[in-house]
This record gives sequence, C-alpha cells and structure tokens, in this order.
Amino acid sequence: MPLTLPADRAPTEPILAARGITKRFPGVLALDHVDFEVQAGDVHAVLGQNGAGKTTLMNILFGLVQPDEGALYLRGQRVHFRSPHDAIAQGIGMVHQTRRLVAAHTVLENIVLGHPRVRGFLNLRGARREVEALCNRYGFTVDLGARVWQLSEGERQWVEILKALYGGAKILILDEPTSVLTPPEVKTLLAGLQALVRDRGVTVLLVTHKLPVVMAASHRVTVFRSGSVVARLRTGEATEEILVQHMIGREVAFRTADRSAEAGRPLLHVEQVSAFNDRGLLALRDLSFSLRAGEVLGVAGVTGNGQEELAQVLAGLRPVTSGKVRFADRDVTHLSPLERWRMGVGYIPAERIEVASIAAFSLVENTALNYHFDPAFTPRGLLDDAGLDQLTRRILSAYNVKAPHQYARARHLSGGNLQRLILGRVLSRRPRLLIAHLPTQGLDVEATAFVRAKLLDARAEGAAVLLISEDLDEILSLSDWVAPIYEGRFVAVLLREQADSETVGAMMAGLQKEAGAR
Amino acid sequence: MWDLLARSLGASTIFLFAALGELVNQRSGVLNVGLEGLMLFGGTAAFITAQTTGSYPLGFLAGLTIGGLLGLAHGFFSITLRGDQVVSGMGLWILSFGLTTYLGSAYTGPLGLARIPSLMGLSPFFLVGVALVAITWLLIFRTSLGLAIRSAGENPAAAEASGISVVAIRYLCVTVGGVLAGLSGATYTLSYNPVWNYNFLMGWGFVSLALVFFSMWNPWILLAGASLFGIMWQLSLSPELVLPGVLSRYVWRTVPFAITIPILVVISTPWFRTRWGLAKPEALGRPYAKG
Ligand SMILES: Nc1ncnc2c1ncn2[C@@H]1O[C@H](COP(=O)(O)OP(=O)(O)O)[C@@H](O)[C@H]1O
Ligand SMILES: [Mg+2]
Repeated sequence: MPLTLPADRAPTEPILAARGITKRFPGVLALDHVDFEVQAGDVHAVLGQNGAGKTTLMNILFGLVQPDEGALYLRGQRVHFRSPHDAIAQGIGMVHQTRRLVAAHTVLENIVLGHPRVRGFLNLRGARREVEALCNRYGFTVDLGARVWQLSEGERQWVEILKALYGGAKILILDEPTSVLTPPEVKTLLAGLQALVRDRGVTVLLVTHKLPVVMAASHRVTVFRSGSVVARLRTGEATEEILVQHMIGREVAFRTADRSAEAGRPLLHVEQVSAFNDRGLLALRDLSFSLRAGEVLGVAGVTGNGQEELAQVLAGLRPVTSGKVRFADRDVTHLSPLERWRMGVGYIPAERIEVASIAAFSLVENTALNYHFDPAFTPRGLLDDAGLDQLTRRILSAYNVKAPHQYARARHLSGGNLQRLILGRVLSRRPRLLIAHLPTQGLDVEATAFVRAKLLDARAEGAAVLLISEDLDEILSLSDWVAPIYEGRFVAVLLREQADSETVGAMMAGLQKEAGAR
Repeated sequence: MWDLLARSLGASTIFLFAALGELVNQRSGVLNVGLEGLMLFGGTAAFITAQTTGSYPLGFLAGLTIGGLLGLAHGFFSITLRGDQVVSGMGLWILSFGLTTYLGSAYTGPLGLARIPSLMGLSPFFLVGVALVAITWLLIFRTSLGLAIRSAGENPAAAEASGISVVAIRYLCVTVGGVLAGLSGATYTLSYNPVWNYNFLMGWGFVSLALVFFSMWNPWILLAGASLFGIMWQLSLSPELVLPGVLSRYVWRTVPFAITIPILVVISTPWFRTRWGLAKPEALGRPYAKG
C-alpha cells in the first residue's frame, strides 16, 4: 500500500528529544544511554526487533516509566514527566501496544476520561459534538455511544487515537499499532496518520518492527538494537535491506532456494489452512507445508505472526476456518486433541506454567496429564498409582529433573526443571510428530542445551519435529528446513544449507523477495 | 402499619449509609468485607463520645472519624501494600469486634440522652440517606470524578494512561466509604437503637455488603434494596405480623441473602453483561501495580 509522501524537508529544531536515557529493569539493561530526537511535523518510525527497548523509551516519553538516567526536552525546554498526566498536559498522547480502554464504558466516556477540560460535571453532549467534528474531519466512523467491548480491535485503536487527539495531543505516540489490525485497517490507519500530519501539524511517533510500514508511512526512522540506537535515517534514503541490516546487525545476502524433490511421503501434510486468533482476526492465511519423519522444520518469526495459532491448530486446540491437516495418511482436521495424542502427536506448549502443567499438582500428577488416557496406566478405569510413580521416577532420572521427590508440587520446580519434566513426559510416549513451541524460552544455558539435544534425539528416532522459536540461532542449529513466518504465512520454506540468518531475519521482518515459497 | 414502615425505614437507613460507602469503595475497585467492623467501631466510638460529652454532634464526629481512619487503614493494606483485600477486611472486622468489646464493655447499657426527634416516627437520617443517594448518583454518573472512579474500578491501567492517579482515587474512595460506615454505626448507636451491647450489630454490616451486590452498584437500586431489606429485618424482629408460625425470625433474616445470591448468579452470566452492560466492576478486589 504505497503512500505518497512529500519529499524530505529541511531539518528543523527537534520538537521532542531524549538525551542520555538509561533504564534498567532487574537483570536487563533496557535502554543504554539513548539519544533520540523527533522533528516537528514528521511521521517518525521507531524500528527494532522484539525487546530492543522501543516500548520502554515510549513509556518514558509518556511519563509512564521513569528513566534511571537522562533527560527529556520538549521544544528545547527540559521537562520532567512524573506521570502520564504531565505528558498529556504538554500535548503528548500515546496509543499503547496493549489497549488501555475501559471495556464496560462507552466510546465517548473513554474519550473524555481524564481530559483536562472536563472538570466537575460531565458535559457529554458538548464533548460528543467536538468528537464528532474530529471524526468528520478524518473520516473515522465510530459509534460514540457503543460500549468498547462491542468494538473490533481496529475500532478500539481508533478510539485511542481520537482520545489522544481530543486530549489536545500535538505529538502522538503509537506503539505497534499495526500488529492487531487487518491489512485494510492498516491502510486506513496509515492514511489517517498522513492526514493528521498534513492538516493538523501533528507529529507522529510510529513504533513498529515491520519494514513495509516504515517504508510506506514515515519521513524518518530511528533503528534500535538491544537498547541502543544504531541508526538514524531519512526514510527516503533508506531501503528495506539497509534497515534490516541495522536491525539485525549484519550484512544481508539474499539466497533462497526451493525445496528439492521429495524422497518419501510426508507424515504431516498441512494444506491451505486458515484460522482465527482469539480476537477473531485471521491469524493463519492459507498456510501449507509438509513434514517427513526424521526431519525438523524450524518456524522462525516474531511473536504474533501466527505461531501460537499454528501450534494450536496442529494440536487440535483451535479450529481451522478452511484447509486440511493430514497426519499419517488420515485427515485429522477435526479430530480432538485426545485422538491426536493417541495417534502419536506430542505437544510442548509455550506456556510452561499456564498450559503445560498444573502448578498445584505433584510431578506424578503432572506426568499423568499425558497418560490418563493410556489403558496401560488405567486398568479397570482407575489410575495406576504405582505405575505412574515408577514412570515419573524414570523420567526424573532420565531427564535430569532436579526435584526433591516425585510428589513435590510443580510450582516448586525452576523453569528449566519443569521444562525437563514436560519434555520427558511427552517424549516418553515416543511421539511420531512433536510440536515444540518456544521450548527453550527463559531457560539457562545448560537446560537449553539439554532440551535441544533431546529434540535432536527425537528426530534421530524418527519423529517429525515442528520447532517454533524466536531464537534464530536455535532454528538454524536444529532444523533441516527453515520456514520464516510473517502475518500467518510462511514466506518461504528453505533448505537448512540455503538458509542463513540474514535471509531468514529479513523474511521474518516482512521483507518479501522472489522466494521459493511453497 | 405506618409505624412498622417508619421503623423499617429506620433500619433501612443503617443499611443505606454503610452500603452507599461500600458502593463508592467498590466502584473504585476496592472491596472492604470488614464493613461490619467499621460500623461496630464507629458506632462504639460515637456512643462513648456522646455519653461522656453529652453531645450528639461530637458523637457523630467521633463515629465518622473512626470510620474514615479504618477506611484509610484498609486502603493502606490493599492499595499501598497491595495485600489481599478480603484478608485485610476480615482482619479489620475481627480487630474491631475484639477492641470494641474490650473498650465498650464499661458502657454497656442505654445511652441516657434525650432521643433525637423523629418526623412522625420517621428517622430524619432516612432523608439524609435519600439525599446522599442522589448525591452519590450524581457523583458517580454525572461528574468527571465519577468517571475517574468508575474507570479505576474497571481498568486501572487505562485510567492511569489517561492521566488519572489510581492510588489517589482509591484512597479517596476507601476513606469516603469508611466515613459512611462510621456514620452508619453512629446512627445505629445514637438513634436507631441507643443501647450499647457487645457485638450489637450481629450481621448488619454483612447485610449491607450483600446489598451492594444486590444493587448492581447503582445507588437508586441500592435505595430500593435498603428499604426492602429494612422491612425484612423489621419483620424478623416481629415475626408474628406475617404468617406467624410459618415464617420465623430466622427465615426473615435469611431473605436478604436468599435474594442476593440468585441476583449474583444472574449478573455474573455473560448474557446479562452483554444485554445490560452493568455488573461488577471488572477490577474489583484486584491490587493495582503501576507501569
Ligand atoms: N516492566 C519490566 N520489567 C522487567 N523487564 C522489562 C520490563 N519492561 C520491559 N522489560 C525488558 O526490557 C527490554 C526492552 O523491552 P521493550 O521496551 O518492551 O522492547 P520492545 O518494545 O522494543 O519490544 C526487554 O528485554 C524486556 O524484557
Ligand atoms: Mg514493544
């Protein structure tokens, strides 16, 4: 959706600047002496991978987070924002990465909430007229009397933008506004932002990790990597390749390859699968691939591009809206999770504590979660306690789980030990297809190495492994095939030898090339 | 008949004051289950002060102050320390129960002051209560402060991002809630039944708490509920009036709770929330951490 932008203008005095900003969280240096400036009247893109520190800096500019070091300058004047209240009073508005609206209240109530002009008795009728005027000016249509929970995610975002504008924002910060929107909504949003900048002289700070958005809608771009600014560019002088290079920190070379002719028949065959996410947006779009026994397919991507939904569709936890899943020559599209487990599907969910285990249960009970349906462990319909006890002890020793005993509660295990237990109980069933979603997230070096080794063991024993990870090095070191995922589709399926981190990283950021996607 | 009604509305007033305070409290997201304790403590302080000084205004002042202070204490536990609100509330109740028994036992017996005059048998405090209902309704639904209070109770993160101090709003509301609980207790010991006895309330605070849920956090429904609950309570004192022998005092005392439970069940359904949009403040009882 290319938008025409005026040619770059002459540099002006920065309207908002942050100098020498440092912010530490326990164990993390989120921002390291960052200098950042925004020119008045620009759409200024802030680009960086997950965890680069973008949100933290924006929260500091909005007074929601206090920096450990450094200072903010507004129109050349030093300012202190103790809370969002101060920032709003100075004409800064923010649309957060996660929605900050009161679901039970009407759109209008949300817009006037906290507004400095609304004091004492609420004059909702007057406010309605003003907000309607704003809506007309920008061609938004939203029912001001509707309650926020009735709106779509895109409409909610508009409400937050309206709220910021109604609050008198001259500088509008949008944190990852496109991540929850459908493509047409993104188009409307970007066009609306252009209008704001052109007609009202609003300055827009647009945080994103998506390259096409930066290229289509910004005048300037600041690139963050691991808490530091690594580049400041005019968008007109940048290319997607240059931006990726800054974002990832390496040269980019494009080499993609088609998957070679197949030797055997695939064990898993996913055909044109589409599925909704929890918000009712299409998270998987006609995704297709196949996977053979004894192979690892690494799905690489930034969180929120459909990985969660893909894992759930394959595990039988999420219905598909169209498409087919075939496993072991059977159409399993509509089979329940239990039927899939029986056929030899093993699933390691990303949420170790919330989904994969029950914190208050003992390790034996947690192991039973994968065995309760197995006739060998339920003679005459009763759980075979002695058998489960033995099994758990075998898993504890084979997978080096450090636990006082097998009746300890899962909540007392460290993340690494809990993951070893989960891995052990899934792999001890000898699954033919293993779905591993973020299997090493948050683990220490030793546990990570252990989990990776076990995944490779499973592959050696003939399991087909679908590895979903954000860690590119992990994907590259374990996979036979690498599939960068972006907005619900595999950008390509690359042979490991032909996938290098630059290519895959660029594809994860939405850079589309003539690739051998299938 | 009028006598019974007037007397019932006197009881309603006690429920009304306490429940109105708790409603404001809960609208901002703080649950105080120790309402009974605040009422006991406020009532006892009012009783002792009025008896020693011979002054009703000083008595009420003492009741309101103690209620407000206990509300602040609950705020400190639940807002600043982010503790469990139910635990803090129950703690306040048990503490008040014990302390008032200890401090008040020397004052067991009647107040011994001239009764506060009534209007043809109707407690003047009932009229104060009606006025407070109107004021609370205006405050909650028609002022920007009210919008801020409701937002703090529904989604504190959204309120904070709108430039509102959730901590300040919640402190304000727990204090107001405490003052009204103190007023409720003082009205009980100085006007409704001016005789001190240990644990003189025997559950009035818990009925008031149920009343807040019954009201679906709306002051006008709260007024209607308080009137209804007052009549039930009065009937429990004179069960011979309606179907004697069938409906005992204990049946009448159970009725407020028996009504509240099905209402709670209905308003918790997704259907109700979708259809009517009003129900429990979303963030009720949840501590809020900034950022
Ligand atoms: N409240 C917090 N407590 C601890 N760590 C945090 C907090 N907020 C952010 N971080 C950490 O700071 C780093 C930067 O995060 P963030 O600013 O959210 O990045 P981005 O928005 O670029 O994805 C990450 O490592 C993240 O885990
Ligand atoms: Mg972010």
